[in-house]
Amino acid sequence: MFDRHQDLKTIRRCKRGEEAAFAEILARYRGPIYNLCYRMVRNPEDARDLAQEVFIKVFRLLDRFDEEYAFSSWLFRIASNHCIDHLRRNRMRFLSLDGVTGPDGEEFELQLPDEGPAPDTVLERGEAVARLEEVIADLPPHYKAITLLRHQQQLSYEEIAEVLQLPLGTVKARIHRARAQIQQMLADRSYDI
Amino acid sequence: MDGRDQRDHRAGHGLDCPDCRLELQEYLDGTLEKKRSLAVFMHLRDCAACRADHDALQAVFSGLDALPALEAPADFDAKVLASVPYGAYQAMASLRRERVPVFLEEQFLPAWLRARATRVAGLAVAAAVAFAFAAGAGAGWLLAPGLAGLGPELLCRLQGAGRRLVGLRRAEG
Ligand SMILES: [Zn+2]
Repeated sequence: MFDRHQDLKTIRRCKRGEEAAFAEILARYRGPIYNLCYRMVRNPEDARDLAQEVFIKVFRLLDRFDEEYAFSSWLFRIASNHCIDHLRRNRMRFLSLDGVTGPDGEEFELQLPDEGPAPDTVLERGEAVARLEEVIADLPPHYKAITLLRHQQQLSYEEIAEVLQLPLGTVKARIHRARAQIQQMLADRSYDI
Repeated sequence: MDGRDQRDHRAGHGLDCPDCRLELQEYLDGTLEKKRSLAVFMHLRDCAACRADHDALQAVFSGLDALPALEAPADFDAKVLASVPYGAYQAMASLRRERVPVFLEEQFLPAWLRARATRVAGLAVAAAVAFAFAAGAGAGWLLAPGLAGLGPELLCRLQGAGRRLVGLRRAEG
């Protein structure tokens, strides 16, 4: 989906300190990373801060980027982890309880007071979209990240395995469970989409 | 008739309902191998219950794929670009390009040894000693200060030669 060789060329120019090269990376990935963060935290201001922090981190750690992997994979890994950490930190602020652990060691999100989008935005977008957004917001962070990598970023199972550094089988199983959970949550809330 | 009643029967293509349900996600992802994908397709054609599962799942897939994207704020790049350590990257660029063995790095020799003044002074001492030697003083003990005077220059020259030898000559700029 992302041009790996083009990215590598640009990254090497970044490493020489070329300002234009950093701007190119931003132009290429600003949208995907901002939207990943937005869907992860469902708040435009937090999403902007998180996405900016991701790029700042990536540009500072450029020397640690292993050229054996796609730059996009490394970027998405840092972004996913950054958002997951943010959600965990936020949850800790609300709860002193430990998360409940599911059968595969996945933590299950305890329901949090969710600010959600302003009511007028819900009306503007279709109701189906709003329902799906609500359900995604309530997914455990790991399921949320993997679902977004697959459906929002349109990454293949193999690419997601590289992003999350997990075996392909684990990735498939986790995506399948995430979607099953989304379906279950929609059913539990009698949401038809 | 109730589609659920069909759950137990094989639809005649080597796939029963539980198997079909197990494959639905990969079927929709398009990652199922051809033969298996065809079996699911045939089963779905004949089994209303699984077809309903398929349609419900497909709605979730389409919904997820179609979630609207937001435009990043206009001033997004400015904050990021303001924090990039360009200078550090520029300074490191030449080092990174060459990956010079550490003993060939300029920094390997202490600065005072690399300093032009040290090297000029060293050469002057060496020249004076050589002159005295040639002028017939002829004393063996003069050789030691002569070589010591040549030391800084020789070390810098050897380092340069070594770098050229391994083809790692520093690009200008
Ligand atoms: Zn069936």
